Amino acid sequence: MVKVTVCIGSSCHLKGSRQVVEELQYLINKHDLGESVELAGTFCMGKCGENGVSVTVDDDYYAVKPENVLDFFNDVVVKKVK
Amino acid sequence: MELFLETGYTSLNKKGEELCGDKVEQFSDGKHTTVVLADGLGSGVKANILATLTSKILCTMISNDVGIEECVETVVQTLPVCKVRGVAYATFSVVHVDDEGKGWLFEFDNPEAILIRDGKCGNFDRKEHNILGKKVYASRLALKPDDTIVLMSDGVIHAGIGMLLNFGWLRGDVMKYLDEHHEPGMTARGVACLLAGACNDLYVGEPGDDTTVAAVRIREVSRVRLMVGPPVEKDRDDFYISRFLGGEGKKIVCGGTSSQIVARYLGEKVSASFEFPDKDVPPIGYIKGIDLTTEGVLTLRKLLELSEAYLSSSDLSPKHSSKKDGASLLANMLFEEATHVTFFVGQSINAAHQGLPIDITMKLKLVESLTENLKKMGKVVEVNYD
Repeated sequence: MVKVTVCIGSSCHLKGSRQVVEELQYLINKHDLGESVELAGTFCMGKCGENGVSVTVDDDYYAVKPENVLDFFNDVVVKKVK
Repeated sequence: MELFLETGYTSLNKKGEELCGDKVEQFSDGKHTTVVLADGLGSGVKANILATLTSKILCTMISNDVGIEECVETVVQTLPVCKVRGVAYATFSVVHVDDEGKGWLFEFDNPEAILIRDGKCGNFDRKEHNILGKKVYASRLALKPDDTIVLMSDGVIHAGIGMLLNFGWLRGDVMKYLDEHHEPGMTARGVACLLAGACNDLYVGEPGDDTTVAAVRIREVSRVRLMVGPPVEKDRDDFYISRFLGGEGKKIVCGGTSSQIVARYLGEKVSASFEFPDKDVPPIGYIKGIDLTTEGVLTLRKLLELSEAYLSSSDLSPKHSSKKDGASLLANMLFEEATHVTFFVGQSINAAHQGLPIDITMKLKLVESLTENLKKMGKVVEVNYD
């Protein structure tokens, strides 16, 4: 099981965390990964200065912009599952 | 049991009029509350002046315990005489009640007030008094918790005349409507808005007369404590949190960092919801032992918008929101459920927020405006800056 946690705090909300969450939900369903990926939310991770929405995959940190969600999903999440 | 009086009113202006010919005036000294609804003869400016004078004079005099005879005399001698009609005239209803629910209701020519008790409408036991040739009805009040008094101008019972209904709806119909639509725990503002909204529907959105509903409700005190933002002295977090959690009442935490500090103190975890019922408001969170956990500044900004609509005496949207976003949940707890609100405002600066529209000055400004609006709603508000 891979745990993907998206920050939904104030800063990340302004940077588009809602779009990131919705797109990830869509992609996980589309690839039928509901069994192997757990999506969760969290308040501020304390990395508001990063350029993008704070996301952790298990314990690794990533800053993801709404327009880069697809790349992030393919490059990081899918690889991790496999 | 500690009791608290709340009041609220909603006015519809006659179609095409900028001013309302009905006027509600209220005053509370913490112990006694006085509410006056006056309806001036005619409409527009003239009616507005008559109603304003009448309500202001009555409210000031009665709240200072001047007898009703003297008050009526003053009103009669003060009102300017209408050139067209040759009379000076405004109808009124006055509630003067203390925080134990004891007091008086005086009525002159307005539709009879309605008492909502245990969810059912009833009448007052009115005694007729003749004051300077005018029939003034007096009722002694002994209110029980959750009783609501509904005052109205004649625009209410005339609603729909010649439009949807032949003769408007009668007092009995108004009572039946309230019996069916009044919900337990409804606030004074909620009741006023409900009834005025129904009138507006009967008038098909174009009121044929100024229409005003004012409500007075006596209820149990309900306290809410709200923490927003972490305190400046980081090493004394625990002290501030224990003070916040130590008091009586429901607990609300607004802000990501604040919620983490509170959770740590409680030995719990913050879990964040993933639902976006409103795209402008970040999702809420959950901490065991805390009644409501939300994001900070963005949610508060939305809350401030909601408070403006809540206060507007012409806004007819229901006062109790059924929406599930953080701001609407906060609005229900603060505007509808609470009588006393205590803020704990942390002034610690989140460096990463500076320059963004969510920085500390924004937060302080929001709390200040919210405090103002809560006071306008009649809440007892206390603000602590940490």
